[in-house]
Amino acid sequence: MSQKNPLHIPSPFRVEAIDMTPEQKEQEYVHNVYQPWPVVEEFLKTMPPGFVGADVGCGNGKYIGVNPKLFMVGSDSICGERGHEAMVCDGLALPYRPEFFDFAISIAVIHHFISPERRIAAIEEILRVVRVGGRVLIFVWALEQTGKRDFDKNVQDVFVPWAMPKKAEPKKDKTKSRPQGVKRKDKKKDLPSLEGDNVTEPTNRLVTNDNAGQQHSMTEGITSAASTPSTTTSTQTPGVEEQIPEQKELAAPVYNRYYHLFQKGELEDLVLKTNKASILQQGYDRDNWWCILEKISNA
Amino acid sequence: MLQCHVKGCDANNFPLELQEVVLEQEEAEFNEDFLKNMLGKLEYEALVATSLKLDIHDLPATMPEDAAYNDEFLQILHRVILETHIKSGKMVCPNCQHIYNIRDGIPNMLLAEHEV
Repeated sequence: MSQKNPLHIPSPFRVEAIDMTPEQKEQEYVHNVYQPWPVVEEFLKTMPPGFVGADVGCGNGKYIGVNPKLFMVGSDSICGERGHEAMVCDGLALPYRPEFFDFAISIAVIHHFISPERRIAAIEEILRVVRVGGRVLIFVWALEQTGKRDFDKNVQDVFVPWAMPKKAEPKKDKTKSRPQGVKRKDKKKDLPSLEGDNVTEPTNRLVTNDNAGQQHSMTEGITSAASTPSTTTSTQTPGVEEQIPEQKELAAPVYNRYYHLFQKGELEDLVLKTNKASILQQGYDRDNWWCILEKISNA
Repeated sequence: MLQCHVKGCDANNFPLELQEVVLEQEEAEFNEDFLKNMLGKLEYEALVATSLKLDIHDLPATMPEDAAYNDEFLQILHRVILETHIKSGKMVCPNCQHIYNIRDGIPNMLLAEHEV
């Protein structure tokens, strides 16, 4: 399957799954990275032609071309590789003018913010750049997920190991779909949690920083820049490299990324707390809670 | 579309001023719906001023009143906002002078910790 995509770039955004067969891993990889989720696809396809949208945390940009009649701007760090409009930025401070967009999507992003306040702030920031009447689709990881991962239902804040592909090789031989660190991690059986000993890899410094309150929201864009192919590594800030100097030499660094696993109804609660949006639709899909909001006010 | 988002920089932070720009023309499909939608979103004066600095003189100084139905104008707009890409350069905030670099066509809008 991976050969079908001419621009098959291993994405560091793939969350490493535990205890999966190679086939499952391959499937999940392709699914995560290249196959648009049906709910998202449907959302984008029902947007009127000519609408302008923001994909906040766009990853490799898989949603940006779903509906060619839309004009979508992605922010993160690697979507530029597919030739879409993209930029690198932070999720709590989007660089857009207020109310510029007709709609926005935020897929698998809000769950990386470390406190309820930050999660609300992230939603508010998205709402700020969308016009009144505009719609926003949000996906977050569910605590209740029953798919490949079995999380302790009492622990909502977890670290999930996450493999990054090797640092920038300009060669096209990166067609291997799986980051090389996969094998190393098969040994691990348990998900580390905030309460437990999460130092299972030598590379969780980013996470430690997060705990110290220096969390970079939307760390996807920031951390991935250090290992994505050369066309985008240039977009990173010097500070990013400083955070992870020891990873540069490793074949496939493994990070433990912070996730807040959302309980049923929790996402909607956060949205309603902003007082700026109403909820049009909500659901559960692919281990995620999702909802579609309509911005109702700026105040 | 972009504005400076350094904390506390909330006045005169638009448009970002382009410097040392390398442009690239790339053909794009004409999307009339998009262009018409953009008419209401554009800060037209800022677009014209920015274009002039890049030596693009095609846009009329003021937006024609019949812009949405003015095919010639929409074609020019299409060329300027969809087909003209900034391959590299800098965007400088007119207020706080923060510099955002553009490399390989991708602006880096990240801020340092103290600027967020």
